[in-house]
Amino acid sequence: MLEPKVVLFLAAVLFSAGLYGVLSRRHLIMLLMSLELMLNAVNIALVTFSRYWAGEGVGMIGAHSGQFFTLMVMAVAAAEVGIGLAIIVAVYRRKHTADSDAASELKG
Amino acid sequence: MEVLFILSALISLAGTLILITQKNPVYALLGLLIAFGGSAGVFKALDAPFIAVSQIIIYAGALAVMFLFVLMFTDTRTQDDRLKLPGAVGSRAVFNPKESGGPAKAKKKKNEFQVPAAVTAALDSIQLPKPMAMVLSLSLLVCFTAAIAKLPAEFNDFGPLPASYSGAMFAPSSEDGVLAFGSTAAVSKTIFEGFPLAFEVVSLLIFAALLGAVLLARRHLAGIPGTQDVGKERDHA
Repeated sequence: MLEPKVVLFLAAVLFSAGLYGVLSRRHLIMLLMSLELMLNAVNIALVTFSRYWAGEGVGMIGAHSGQFFTLMVMAVAAAEVGIGLAIIVAVYRRKHTADSDAASELKG
Repeated sequence: MEVLFILSALISLAGTLILITQKNPVYALLGLLIAFGGSAGVFKALDAPFIAVSQIIIYAGALAVMFLFVLMFTDTRTQDDRLKLPGAVGSRAVFNPKESGGPAKAKKKKNEFQVPAAVTAALDSIQLPKPMAMVLSLSLLVCFTAAIAKLPAEFNDFGPLPASYSGAMFAPSSEDGVLAFGSTAAVSKTIFEGFPLAFEVVSLLIFAALLGAVLLARRHLAGIPGTQDVGKERDHA
């Protein structure tokens, strides 16, 4: 029997792994990739809750709102990656490296 | 569904492991692709086939290609690799000190243990774990697990799938009751009847992101504000 708790635990593991990737990498593209993994874990949790609360009396729109929100997260993630990669290209053109430590002018 | 979920979850976890351990960003991107494919299987197991297909189209298709493009544009080495001393060759030097000792010490003792080259090559391609990041992410995982364990007992089981919804897409014709849970028709009805404003706002957001990305990544052009002035001598790079 498929349990919601198991699926939520999978989402938690993926999220934590993504956080580890964000914290442990220096390459800007690797940071962005790990960020995508975290967003994906959130999507899994959203779809799980959508499936869990899709019982009687919710209606079609209520039952699918979690899936709709997942689609919104995907769209926002796509926009975020577009902007992020453009910033990485700009940083690389200026610094000749995609290392996150190179762009530290605002460090103070 | 149970079998599909377990398989997809294992694939997803394996891809994640590749993503966070591989040094080479292209291999890491491959791991990310595997993880996304596994997540698509999880979505299918959760009765969301439309989300599963969108996941493959958007993440595994479009985003991965974009990442690959920028990986090819940029230098994939980080500061760590550049500062590496010329003599150091990673774990090969640790495990097989004789091997990197130069031609003068080429004589090997007969019964000396040698780590196979494949093992050292695999070890060299793996990033060493960072303890602080490990502690932080593991403590977050512990918090999540505690929260999941405290969920009420109803969360031990998904309820039965709701019966298909009534209502046709375009006209109240014969096909009433065909909109199964998670089907494309049901999801699109939810988008356009439930949340049309959010849909329009997101389309605006994507348009703005498109313009912003073009403006950020283009070279300096005379007379166009907002573009980078990085000087001509650097532009050839």
